[in-house]
Amino acid sequence: MNESRPYRRPQPGNWWAKPPYRAYTARELSGVAVAIYGGVLFAGLVSLARGPENWAGYVGFLKSPTSLALHVLLLAAVVYHVITWFQTLPKTMPKLIVNGEAVPAKKITGLATLLAGATSLALVLVVLGVTR
Amino acid sequence: MSGPARDNPRSISPIFWLLFGAGGMVSALFGPALILITGLLAPTGTGIPESFLSYDHALAFARNPIGKLVLLAVIALFFWHGAERLFLTLKDMKAGPSLVLKLGTYGVAAAVTLATIGLLLAIGF
Repeated sequence: MNESRPYRRPQPGNWWAKPPYRAYTARELSGVAVAIYGGVLFAGLVSLARGPENWAGYVGFLKSPTSLALHVLLLAAVVYHVITWFQTLPKTMPKLIVNGEAVPAKKITGLATLLAGATSLALVLVVLGVTR
Repeated sequence: MSGPARDNPRSISPIFWLLFGAGGMVSALFGPALILITGLLAPTGTGIPESFLSYDHALAFARNPIGKLVLLAVIALFFWHGAERLFLTLKDMKAGPSLVLKLGTYGVAAAVTLATIGLLLAIGF
């Protein structure tokens, strides 16, 4: 018989729903929202390949309150993804040295988030301008 | 010295990591704009004309080689990004056997990627 009984710290099954892990779970699931939006686009591509009638059904879905509500939620989740993505960026990239000094993590996060805001805004403005 | 890379020199996890990172970056830079345009502004006709969502317009975009590349990159990378995050989260939650979790996340991303390539080719040039 094995006499060794290593201590295992008890951990409730829903640890991921409690602080401080809740923030981690929320961050990871915001990445799943990105995939759900990918799924919305994929559904559109399937409809497009099937022909005009199928496409009309897809556009009908996009105009439905369900879809608009879904996209508001997705937008909120993806904005959260943007913020947390750039909070983790300084930890995943090599140390950035400018003039012999490491750039502080907060500065990298701030600048990258600003850049992301600018690229998204630029894309919206370009589409609004082109389709005018 | 030991570590995952040394113990398993042929691990393919760096590929998943690369796809996850690419999807995370593309969605961080353009995700909010894409959702705003295709999900909210265009369907409600806010600042974007009705023709934006017409069949001819969408077909022309999907037939354009650059349009095809954009669609493939966005759909596939977004799925690979979600797959990586969902897999690791479910693994931490001990939600099921590793193989089942992999099939349900990476498997779905791989299937969607192949289907997207197939659809883009079927739509033609």
